[in-house]
Amino acid sequence: MTALSRPWNRLSLAGKIILPLVAVLIALNITLVVLWMSGLLPFLVQAILDTLGANIAILRFLLAATIILLITVPVAFMNIFFEMKLIAFVNLRIGPNRIGPWGTLASVIHGLKVLAKEDFTPRGVDVPVFTLAPAVVYLASVMTLLVVPFAPGLHGYDMDIGLLYFFAISGLGVVGLMMAGWSSFNKYSLLGGLRAAAGMISYELPLILAVMGIVLLSGTLNLNTIVQNQSGSFLDWYIFQQPLGALIFFIAATAEGSRPPFDLTEADSEIVAGFATEYSGMRFGFFFFAEYVNMFILSAMTAVLFLGGWNAPLDLAPIANALGIATPIDIALDPGSMGPGLLWLVLLAPPLIVGGLTAVIWMLKSDWSIIVSAIVAFVLFNLLVGGGVMLLLAMGIDWVMGLVWFLGKTIGLSLFFVLMRATLPRVRIDQLMGFAWKWLVPAALVNIFVTAAAIVVLHEIGRPL
Amino acid sequence: MTAEPRVRSLDDPEILVHSPAAIIDAVPPYPPRTEREAEFYTLADGEMFINLGPQHPSTHGVLRVVLKLDGERVVDLDPVLGYLHRGVEKICENGDWHHAISNCDPLEYIASMFSEAMPVLVAEKLLDLDVPRRAEYIRVLAWELNRISSHALFIGWLALDLGGLTPILYGFIERDEIVEMLAALTGQKLLFNYLRIGGVNGDLNHEFLSRLGDWMGHAAKRIEDQMRLMNENEIFVGRTRGLGVLTRETALRTCVTGPPLRATGVPYDVRRAHPYSVYPELEFDIPTRTEGDSYARYLLHLEEIRQSIHIIDQVLHQMPDGPVMAKLPRLLRVPPGRAWVAFESPRGQYGAYGISDGTDQPFRLRIHDPSYFTLQAVGELVPGHLVADTMAIMASLDPIMGGIDK
Repeated sequence: MTALSRPWNRLSLAGKIILPLVAVLIALNITLVVLWMSGLLPFLVQAILDTLGANIAILRFLLAATIILLITVPVAFMNIFFEMKLIAFVNLRIGPNRIGPWGTLASVIHGLKVLAKEDFTPRGVDVPVFTLAPAVVYLASVMTLLVVPFAPGLHGYDMDIGLLYFFAISGLGVVGLMMAGWSSFNKYSLLGGLRAAAGMISYELPLILAVMGIVLLSGTLNLNTIVQNQSGSFLDWYIFQQPLGALIFFIAATAEGSRPPFDLTEADSEIVAGFATEYSGMRFGFFFFAEYVNMFILSAMTAVLFLGGWNAPLDLAPIANALGIATPIDIALDPGSMGPGLLWLVLLAPPLIVGGLTAVIWMLKSDWSIIVSAIVAFVLFNLLVGGGVMLLLAMGIDWVMGLVWFLGKTIGLSLFFVLMRATLPRVRIDQLMGFAWKWLVPAALVNIFVTAAAIVVLHEIGRPL
Repeated sequence: MTAEPRVRSLDDPEILVHSPAAIIDAVPPYPPRTEREAEFYTLADGEMFINLGPQHPSTHGVLRVVLKLDGERVVDLDPVLGYLHRGVEKICENGDWHHAISNCDPLEYIASMFSEAMPVLVAEKLLDLDVPRRAEYIRVLAWELNRISSHALFIGWLALDLGGLTPILYGFIERDEIVEMLAALTGQKLLFNYLRIGGVNGDLNHEFLSRLGDWMGHAAKRIEDQMRLMNENEIFVGRTRGLGVLTRETALRTCVTGPPLRATGVPYDVRRAHPYSVYPELEFDIPTRTEGDSYARYLLHLEEIRQSIHIIDQVLHQMPDGPVMAKLPRLLRVPPGRAWVAFESPRGQYGAYGISDGTDQPFRLRIHDPSYFTLQAVGELVPGHLVADTMAIMASLDPIMGGIDK
């Protein structure tokens, strides 16, 4: 009761947090009892459930938005880890290897470190703009993730203008970079912000023009439909119908995500850290995160548009059918249907495997007794079998396999981005702009023209795509 | 309608201005002393200053360059020196000749086997000393090893300043092996303090030779392999070819020596032009190129690495037996006189002009550092290029601030 008898301003921070919570809980309990006794409770619950049911679309959207906002954090951590480890591999270094297995948690620790650092606002900056800029950059990346189709039925929001939305929102990030560059009161930041504006606006053009071929072919801006159009074998992917478009899109995406060799906005050897020079703490962290989330999103978009998104490269169902495996996999848990041989196997396999594992663990871990080894082996066996069964079951579910293929393609492309960073030097600003306007934009226009002509010609001779 | 000014000025926090850019204006560091300074610190419309250094990721050491920019294009520049000034020449006068060796060590901290040779060679010339031939061969061996380590690092730096992450670490692989090797020989990894007046400090030892043998077995091939990452890299060549073209006349007028001079087609190498030590007995080429651009300088460094490996090969075959130190009195009184020595460092002609008054201390030791003269060319090469090219040009000229600021 000391906490209650103490004046508010002499309470510790924990007390200041806990005390109102306790008060709220007591109030809630009293309200609940009153509602229950008066007979209003079932009525209220029903009304709330009805409201929720009527607005399920809004609920779904809110849930999806929250999940997508949260999913960016592990995605960024993953990409940062790949970057550290793969560049270390190219550099003949070891890379992070202290925290977590193979240093996988090193990027998490980096994130925590950034959180713990001082959030410093230098004198002379335009404070509101300076504060808002990281949020704008980060939200622009996160919002584009909303329309990315991860797997069949697994997407933030199925927009009919998904592609248009993607390009519109991803262009918004430039505003944040400009804000950061302008408000920082630093000439390096200013140069970085202006480079970002010039480079990104130039590369939006080939980025969008390169996709026009796909829009012509698929006749839609809906990303889910675009992915569905590519189902079948890997020969149906748009990269085989639009090789030039895919190349232009990938190059422009590299510049759009300001990845090396087009990372002029934060060229450390020239303009220190570009627009992020004056940022510290988590504000810098937001820029950093946004860059890696962007990398993921651009890889994902390349996968969705050109590499078939969630589609498997080969439809394995005919092969499985030929081998006598029913798809989707159906696990019969009826012992009577098994033959005596199989039944003996099911009976004998667990003790044999557990015994074998015990022996192996006991030999490897000399300081463990045989009983401890047996317990560990039993747990391990259960985990393996359970995991195997879960895996088999999951492979039957449509969206799990879709997600696996989607993530596989996306991570593969991300690793390619990282490899480019490890091997290529940076281009110059005039080379960057010249490449966009002299080569990519004309090539993209030629691509649109050829695609359109091909569609018309194929339609005329009666063999539309 | 105009918005209210809401950014506090840096000069006076009470004054509010419209935007940070409104208070970015030209402030010369001090009242201009010369016409050139007055002209430089006057901004035309649309120009701005930017301070490159002394703490910037890509100025090697503590060089500060004030750039006058028009957008991203460099209009003019003003290198500001002296952040690393220690008064080495004066310090050398206060110790005896032996102390001068370790005082000159950090001048060229990437290849300090060269800068520490200055007092040694001056004193030997004044003493008219016959250095044992084995000592001379060991010196050449150490010099050429150090030249390779410096050049390997140069290549990595050039790539790093162009944004390539990997070549610097490949360069450091070579440098690490050589530095470990020299540490086995000298006991130090950076500032060797190995040369002595009349010879070297200690004969070759087993560890050094075994490391050297290991390294020689794969060095040439590995350097070639690693440089394939850059040699025909489209972006690297596109960034460096035709960039910062140093003409023959400018190079000669600004006293540029070393690889930047040889990249313009002048085959001036002190090892051949004014032979010293046992270089006349060794067979090697003086590689030259005619383009004079950053790419030519890069290729020249590669070629010089090959030549240095060739020299080391010969030195190991011709190494004579014998002492490594001449017989000298413990208190070394250098006869009065003046002497000028010059020798070829990785960055060009290192020169030293020494005056002795007959005591055991140098009366004057004037140091001629090649980086200082190479840096003069920056003012001619950079204007007209972009900010990004400033780094590529400066990295390809390879100045070391220790020697420039002395």
